[in-house]
Amino acid sequence: MPTMTVLATTAVPDHVRGALTRWMIEPTPGLYVGTLSARVRNELWAVVAASIGPGAAVLLHPEANEQGFTLHTAGDRRRIPFDFDGLALIAFRPQDEQTTDPEEPEPTVPAAG
Amino acid sequence: MAANRRPHTQSSARRRVASPTLAMLPRVGDSLSFLYADIVRIVQDDTGVCAETTGEDGDITRVHLPTASLSCVLLGPGTSITQPALATFARHGTTVVCTGSGGVRCYSGTVPASLTTRWLERQVHQWTDPDRRLAVARQMYTSRFQIGVPAATTLEQLRGMEGQRMKALYKLLAQQHRIGRFRRSYEPDSWDTQDPVNLALSSASSCLYGIVHSALVALGCSPALGFVHQGTQLAFVYDIADLYKAELTVPLAFSLHDSPNPEAAARRSFREQLRLFKLLPRIVTDVQTLLAPGETEHVADGHTDGEAVEMVNLWDPKSGSVPAGVNYAPQEAPDVP
Repeated sequence: MPTMTVLATTAVPDHVRGALTRWMIEPTPGLYVGTLSARVRNELWAVVAASIGPGAAVLLHPEANEQGFTLHTAGDRRRIPFDFDGLALIAFRPQDEQTTDPEEPEPTVPAAG
Repeated sequence: MAANRRPHTQSSARRRVASPTLAMLPRVGDSLSFLYADIVRIVQDDTGVCAETTGEDGDITRVHLPTASLSCVLLGPGTSITQPALATFARHGTTVVCTGSGGVRCYSGTVPASLTTRWLERQVHQWTDPDRRLAVARQMYTSRFQIGVPAATTLEQLRGMEGQRMKALYKLLAQQHRIGRFRRSYEPDSWDTQDPVNLALSSASSCLYGIVHSALVALGCSPALGFVHQGTQLAFVYDIADLYKAELTVPLAFSLHDSPNPEAAARRSFREQLRLFKLLPRIVTDVQTLLAPGETEHVADGHTDGEAVEMVNLWDPKSGSVPAGVNYAPQEAPDVP
């Protein structure tokens, strides 16, 4: 059962962007939309997540949970998905210094220079 | 969906985003069930409501809260919240409930002002007449029993049957999960020393109260006018919550009897259960069926397909209601000497 899938990329290598256009359309730079089956989506995401280099990518697709969708992230950016007892919200970190473990309840950020 | 016929200008669009109309907000049945926040400061910045945590070095991490699509926010004891944030919650029809740690105990809840009074009037209509009140209370009990109950059964007998039913359920579940003897106890004083089942039960129950509370408030009902319970500001909340406990919270709590953190696990699994049971829409339907048994056409939570409802009317014993904002002085005013 293919579902609508959204993939947003930031500063990923050109070859990844070119490759994605073979599965999805790119309505604005770095944003890819397509209808993919779960298997294709997982394979594609595994490849993209492994080849983003210093960039970042976010994958969104429908899921049978309360919010109706789920999100996966790859790469390190200032926005981190947080799990509030099953509700995914986004924490915005003040400085991008290092990754925090998404499992810990309170993000603590080390002193930034 | 009410279609917006006139295109927005930039300034009107900006105003609309700041104070959304009823048509822009999800119905209570569609919205996200609840969010438990603790050890955060909830503030309104220039774009929305966010929960802030400050790290040891003074860096602030912000999490924006989806106020318009949340039906209920549970505030733990480590939370502080600013007045503009509370006002935004109220404008979006989000119930804010102050709870104890882990969402146990429900201290107070807020009510948005711009609600239809239809269901409140139905509730008071059923509540004020002893016969009608008894009928609703009976209906609440009998809807929980799988078997038919003879019409002559008194409320006292129904209470007894309900007590038996819960006892049997506890016993059955304790056997299923191989937990020797189970006694339901709720002791806030010795909270940490309680067994996991009681902890999970209290945690899930208070989530359930928060959700029922927010559903009732979203309908415009009074949480205080209960049919079975009375004498507390949350009597009607307890009434409605009891309809679902045997099905939802009790089996869930027993399944967590060996969980290391039963309170959080209860909230997490409870959310999953809520989705499975489609609980919020069900609460709305059940309350409407109890309060207006004869009516088949239920208006969901004050939303109409089209324009906003007539909010203010004047009551008239003969014609029901007449439009407010009209001067009803007789046209031919007699000459005042």
